[in-house]
Amino acid sequence: MNHALTRRAPSTARVVAITLLWITRTLVSLLVAYPLVFAITSTGLVSDPDRDAVLFRPGALLLLELLRTAAPALIAALKTSCLLWVLSAIIALLPLAAALDLLRSQRMEALGVQLTRGFRLCPRFLALSAITLLAQSALVLAASLLAAALGAALRGHDERLVTLAPLLVFVLAALGCAGLGALLDVARAALIQHELAARSALLQALTILRESPRDVLFGCYPSVTGSAFFALCAAWFITRIDLSQPTTRAIALAFVVHQTAVIASIALRARWLDGALTLAARVPSSRD
Amino acid sequence: MPRSALDFLVGTLFFGLSLLLLSDFVRAADRRPPLRPSQTAAALPPVTESATQIASYDLDAKLDVTEHRLSGRETIRFVNHSTGPLTELWFHLYLNAFKNDKTLFLRSPFGAGRSGDKAHEYGYIDVKHMFWVEQNQRDLWPDRDRHSPDDPDDETDLRVPLPEPLAAGQMLTLELEFEDKLPEIVERMGYSGSFHFLGQWFPKLARLEPSGQFAHFAFHAQSEFYADFGDYDVALDVPEAYVVGASGSLVAERHEQGRKHLHYHVDNVHDFAWTAWDHFQIRRERIADTDVSVLFPPHQDRNAEAELDSVRFALPHFNALYGRYPYPTLTLVHPPESASNAGGMEYPTLITTGGPWFSTLGGGHFIDVVTTHELGHQWFYGLCASNEHNFPFLDEGLNSYAEAEALEARFGLGSVFDGYGLSVSSTALNRAISAARGGDEPVAEGAADFASFRNLGALVYSRTATIMTTLARVYGEPQLRHALGRYARQFRFAHPTPSDFSNVLKDELGQDAATVSSRALFERGTVDYLVRDISNAPETAAAGVFDGPNGRQQKKPEPVHSPNQYTSRVVVYRHGSLELPVDIELICEDGSRAFQHWDGHGFTHNVDHSGPSRVVAVRVDPEQRILLDDDFSNNAISIEGGSAPRALERTLYVAQTLLGGLGP
Repeated sequence: MNHALTRRAPSTARVVAITLLWITRTLVSLLVAYPLVFAITSTGLVSDPDRDAVLFRPGALLLLELLRTAAPALIAALKTSCLLWVLSAIIALLPLAAALDLLRSQRMEALGVQLTRGFRLCPRFLALSAITLLAQSALVLAASLLAAALGAALRGHDERLVTLAPLLVFVLAALGCAGLGALLDVARAALIQHELAARSALLQALTILRESPRDVLFGCYPSVTGSAFFALCAAWFITRIDLSQPTTRAIALAFVVHQTAVIASIALRARWLDGALTLAARVPSSRD
Repeated sequence: MPRSALDFLVGTLFFGLSLLLLSDFVRAADRRPPLRPSQTAAALPPVTESATQIASYDLDAKLDVTEHRLSGRETIRFVNHSTGPLTELWFHLYLNAFKNDKTLFLRSPFGAGRSGDKAHEYGYIDVKHMFWVEQNQRDLWPDRDRHSPDDPDDETDLRVPLPEPLAAGQMLTLELEFEDKLPEIVERMGYSGSFHFLGQWFPKLARLEPSGQFAHFAFHAQSEFYADFGDYDVALDVPEAYVVGASGSLVAERHEQGRKHLHYHVDNVHDFAWTAWDHFQIRRERIADTDVSVLFPPHQDRNAEAELDSVRFALPHFNALYGRYPYPTLTLVHPPESASNAGGMEYPTLITTGGPWFSTLGGGHFIDVVTTHELGHQWFYGLCASNEHNFPFLDEGLNSYAEAEALEARFGLGSVFDGYGLSVSSTALNRAISAARGGDEPVAEGAADFASFRNLGALVYSRTATIMTTLARVYGEPQLRHALGRYARQFRFAHPTPSDFSNVLKDELGQDAATVSSRALFERGTVDYLVRDISNAPETAAAGVFDGPNGRQQKKPEPVHSPNQYTSRVVVYRHGSLELPVDIELICEDGSRAFQHWDGHGFTHNVDHSGPSRVVAVRVDPEQRILLDDDFSNNAISIEGGSAPRALERTLYVAQTLLGGLGP
């Protein structure tokens, strides 16, 4: 039996990979969140003895007041956060590469070694991400044009059709983007597995997709739907936590619920990345 | 089992569970509270049963749905109820507002009307003759003025001189023939495809004030209407396949040669509107002794049900608060999306709602808001019939308060939106809009005087509602309920003025409330309470050098109490001209709380406190009674400073999720 076809990352390696991804995602997310939180803290509304619990009160009287009085600061902070988010998405490629390497090697090396290797592979990861983003953008643009044309063509028909037909186009485009994302992950896995150049990794991923489309598309399916499920579960729990009370217990509980959802979705992603490595291991690489 | 099959099964399981959760969210957001009986105000004056009939109309209209034209005949019976003779009449030809781009209504370069839309196809009304029956059928129309006063481009406000004066108390009968060309739907008038809506479609007399002056005005894009009460007897002739909704009751119907002849009648109203469409669906229900009909587009059953549900709650609610709805019928018209400009409008016994087919999905209460608002107009416009052109706050403003009050009585604090862990109330929304433009212009000014419709919307609708809510929270909700109940009953069919309203407020809520209301409505009155500093010092015996009978003594500062007592001072400021009484809450280091009251007079107020613990935080108006407060962000201060742990937790999670979903 070909070992590569049945390879599974040992549970320790996967746990370390999950932990690495969670910690780095949390740290960069703190960076992204900071400008917005700073903008909120700088308004007098959270000088209330109950601090920002007042923003979560039913009726949204003070939440709307925050949006009204701090709108310019919040918009500026949001722009900064968006920029930081893009930067974070690039930075997050480093731990992703390290995590993939960890899953591939199936053994714990010093984290520094894996991060160094990740750092070395980062430009190729970046190139792959850029290509995928370009393809996804083209898909969304095409969907927008099609939806607009469809909306115009259907004017005067059943109102539900006029609304839902363009929406369906966007749903299909979103599915296409998810498929491209799965292809990107397989390319990354091929790159890690065989130390390929970005172009070769992408070609190999396309070969794998052509040969085993179900393995690629269904492989990432639990990760995508599972993440959505855990996010919805978190939302379901959060709606039952009263954050308008001035106790820290509610904040701690909300933190636990949210982080559980984040970790669960990272775990599903790690499972899929492991699967992508398995797929990449099937096809012998042709180095360029 | 192959891995791909397992992945597919697991993924599909997650997908199914996600759909279940999502549907639970949507269902939870859609859940509606059971209807509860409404509170009523005690010992209110009885309502007047009928209006004095000043201007009554017999109308006979034939609609050509292909050419979008209407041929009409009209008989007006008008009584000069003023104290002197009349030498002229004033007519509103509102439909001429859409005649060309130079009319007062359409000439704004920024779009016209409340919707902001220009007319895409123009519309107008031609009057062919106007016979004065009592004067040997003399045609008055050739002698009319050709345009609105001082406006050669506008023909919506025309003077018709009378060849003989009409004595006080004397009746005049006029017979008119007219033809309408309908515009493509703009401002609740015109057509869209086969849908037709006809509001302000016939030549209409301006209201005659008791002084003998006609309250006439050219139709301005920001304005609405004002007219005398009368009886309306209306015959409509439409294609047989068309479904018609109209003001009043259908008293006869006959079908002839592919046409439908409908006869409507309604007493004690000041306008008549109708609609015709060959795609309307209908639901009918008897609610609070009123025959309610909902006309709605195909596939909008959920919207129709939501609209009926709103009427089921709001009609008895408004009956209890503002006096019984006196008409036997109420018609709700939900126009198709292509004619959304026809939505959200009020006419006597007929209101239009609106919204896309998915309006009821999720936690938004858009349908309930618009239906409740337009229904409230049956009192604050329909029955009270104040001058909408000169004082829109008396109809739109008071009605916005009535709407918010009814929605919150029904939905609680989620009256605008309630779902997914977020609730937004009408009161909060009104306050946010009101505070944004509070000092721009007086609330109580004419519709055409506002700098923009956005200002009118913020000040007339939201700020009036916020003023009323503030009065209710500061001077008593039962008292304000009683005041509005009395106003609506006492001035039913009576065309009340702002001073009538102010007098009722003064009687019911007192002089202070009347002064606040008057300044807020007429003088751009604003208020902002704020707190800046907290000072704490341990109480010590007086120290220093003291000369006494025993010579000079030097005393060091020493605590007078053990353990220490602290003296604390907080300074609260009031900016603006509205003097509203306010509570101040002091929070001490040991967790104890103390409340003080300030009557709001003066510009500053020192709050002194003595106790075993330092004051560490202060809130001015802790229950947010004063919604007119310009800025809530300066109402509290804490020695610790501000922090936002909940916002940090939530923002962190959103960033993590976005990085997971859209990131690498």
